Amino acid sequence: MSKTVIIYSFHTQKSKKVAEKIIEAFGKSQITAVNAEELTTEDFEKNDNFILSAPTWFDGELPNYWDEFVPDLEDMDLKGKTFAVFGLGDQKGYPENFCDAIGILVEILEDCGAKIIGKIPAEGYTFESSRAQRDDIFVGLPLDQENQGRLTNDRIKNWVSQLKKEMK
Amino acid sequence: MKDLQIPKIYSIKKTDKKLLKDWFYLMTIGRAIDNKAPNYLKQAIGWSYHAPYAGHDGIQLATGYFFEKNKDHMFLYYRDMLTAMACGITAEEIILNGISKATDPSSAGRHMSNHFAKPEWNIHSTSSSTGNHTLHAVGVARAIKYYGEKAVAISGQGESSVSEGYVYEAFNGADKEQLPVIFVIQDNGYGISVPKKDQTANRKVANNFSGFKNTRIIHCNGKDVFDSMNAMAEAKKYAMEESKPVILQANCVRMHSHSNSDDHLLYRNQAERNYVQEYDPLAKFRRMLVRYKRFTEEELQEIEANAKTELKAAHKAAMGAPDPKPESIHDFVFPEPIVSEKYPEGLHNEEGEKKKLITGLNETLKAEFSHNPDTFIWGQDMANKDKGGIFNVSKGLQQEFGEKRVFNAPIAEDFIVGTANGMSRYNDKIRVVVEGAEFADYFWPAMEQYVDTSHDYWRSNGKFSPNITIRLASGGYIGGGMYHSQNIEGSLAAIPGVRIVYPSFADDAAGLLRTSIRSRGLTMFMEPKALYQDPKAATVIPDDFEVPFGKARIRKEGSDLTILTYGNTTHLSLEAAGKLEEEGKSVEVVDLRSLIPLDEETILKSIEKTNKVLIVHEDKVFGGFGGELSAIITEKAFNLLDAPVKRVGSPFTPVGFNRILERAILPNTERIMAAAKELIEF
Repeated sequence: MSKTVIIYSFHTQKSKKVAEKIIEAFGKSQITAVNAEELTTEDFEKNDNFILSAPTWFDGELPNYWDEFVPDLEDMDLKGKTFAVFGLGDQKGYPENFCDAIGILVEILEDCGAKIIGKIPAEGYTFESSRAQRDDIFVGLPLDQENQGRLTNDRIKNWVSQLKKEMK
Repeated sequence: MKDLQIPKIYSIKKTDKKLLKDWFYLMTIGRAIDNKAPNYLKQAIGWSYHAPYAGHDGIQLATGYFFEKNKDHMFLYYRDMLTAMACGITAEEIILNGISKATDPSSAGRHMSNHFAKPEWNIHSTSSSTGNHTLHAVGVARAIKYYGEKAVAISGQGESSVSEGYVYEAFNGADKEQLPVIFVIQDNGYGISVPKKDQTANRKVANNFSGFKNTRIIHCNGKDVFDSMNAMAEAKKYAMEESKPVILQANCVRMHSHSNSDDHLLYRNQAERNYVQEYDPLAKFRRMLVRYKRFTEEELQEIEANAKTELKAAHKAAMGAPDPKPESIHDFVFPEPIVSEKYPEGLHNEEGEKKKLITGLNETLKAEFSHNPDTFIWGQDMANKDKGGIFNVSKGLQQEFGEKRVFNAPIAEDFIVGTANGMSRYNDKIRVVVEGAEFADYFWPAMEQYVDTSHDYWRSNGKFSPNITIRLASGGYIGGGMYHSQNIEGSLAAIPGVRIVYPSFADDAAGLLRTSIRSRGLTMFMEPKALYQDPKAATVIPDDFEVPFGKARIRKEGSDLTILTYGNTTHLSLEAAGKLEEEGKSVEVVDLRSLIPLDEETILKSIEKTNKVLIVHEDKVFGGFGGELSAIITEKAFNLLDAPVKRVGSPFTPVGFNRILERAILPNTERIMAAAKELIEF
């Protein structure tokens, strides 16, 4: 298994915190952190396994650092590369677009030929709609620090062990 | 309607460099003005109302970019500065509006700052009432569809505006009629300080209307130029090709306070204020231009320098522009009406068969619909087989002129009046007649549009005249109670910008209706419904009769007392005068016909002869139009008076339903006679 890259914004508060938990669960030596705000196409080209942080902003948008990278991302050939996406959302405050950013990013990655891992059953969450949900699964790991913060550690632990299996 | 795929036509990599340059220039100069505007207030120059657009840049640029002047119709709201500039309004014109100069293309300093318009390009003058112009956009879209033009009407508005009932009326009407109109909802999460959650349960407020059958709902990121461009391109294509409405909700941020009278420090924490700054659409666009190597840093700096130079020149030119003159305040209150060559006093000597008042109205409507093919009528209960208007005044009109010119409106009075305003914006040839409500009593929901329409001619400095006749079945004596008997002209007369006429005979009704329809401007046409079928109101009516506005008619000459009256009470006054005549008392009965404008000359001339005045109307004495008449007479003819001015009308109560109550409230011949005698004997 080649080294995994985790991409998140170093300037965020909550996303950074959960990213660090993922790094810890993954094993620091096996993962490299890249600042999403300084992302280059090279970061994608030279690595094969990725964990991406995609928090949902406003009423269902990618944060600027992803949105501004999307035009480059869309032109990439990601065949043979593996991606797992997690993201923060708010089920109560924004139930109409809970963790939409995960879904938006996954759709783009799939269009580029990437393999998506880390899908989980859509259970234990209460919301109205989400672009991250397809039938009864989420295409990534939704985390809700606002309403289900106490579940975050377990969710990360389970997800990371699932990723490790899927990355083999 | 379910959201469909939006094609990605515009993107940072594919969009032409020249276009990107134009957009960046506009965004830069727009933002510079947005930032500079508060300084004009600080220096006491003007611009006391400024609602900064920063954070709405993407959707505003896109909305203006897709506007085709002189073809599409644009309705901007007070935060739409960049939209205005993207439509072609210059930096100088924006500042002229901001500091209220005489050369401001929107209103010549008459309307509030930050209300941008250029009616000569179809960028229409709009109200400050949030979302008020949605009804105008629907009305003009009705004309676009009727005349088969490939164009759209666009309404800019904040997301809180969807809480307004009239916005629902507009959306519903556009959906029902399948009109090419785009409602651009710029969603920044706040209505001044009120968060979206306090407006409606649905954060995506546009989805409140997802049950509408023909309306497409599109969501976009209003902070992103390309997402906004693609959404707007699709919205316009869809609205034009399908002739159906679109509600486009663009998610924005409000980077500053609502306006310079609001302080967002009072309700937004530091974290929120920071992230809205971080999501600055202009900064994002600039970063992308560099990141994707479309422009070098030096190229962008050159564009920024050019914008700065233009702004400096615009500021200098606007500061030197003339201020409006105080004596101009009386210009453009009313447009000039038509001039009657044949009936300059609104009198005739025609002989022949008498016609009822309702027949006079019906035949005049038909004649005017034949005379001008751009005449339209709608209202509640307007046309269904043999039914034509609540009292059948417009009977047969739809059969003769078709359902595109004569049609029912939903039971939404504000919609009826607001779309009349909108449709008449399409061109100056159009004449709209509406039954404003089933009865005058039900007109109150339309007051919002009535008041706004009353402003239009003055507010636009004469650039737009709403050419509308609002017909209202008015008054009592039918046992209708307080929802079918009220007189509302006293309240309406307090609002400048509307002519009010109130005939009492068939010939005057026909003549005034013709003048109202043919003239430019807004006329309130009150119809005394108790007289529709009454033989006493029947007269001979010349086919081409016209009654000019502001011409009273002496219905009976006399020398002891002048009775000033109109509507139902003209007949009661004539009866009283007839009976007094038998007692040897000579009473002159003046039927005012027009309340606004008022024929002061005839009134004063009559008083000169009789030296005594009794004012009789059906409306309440307290707050009724008679109070105004009395004050005018006291002011202008005090020396002529041999007795106090006296009034007969209803007491300060609603009109009761039981006939006993109605009789106790509405004026009658006996009360008029008693008051007249008292005055004569004074």
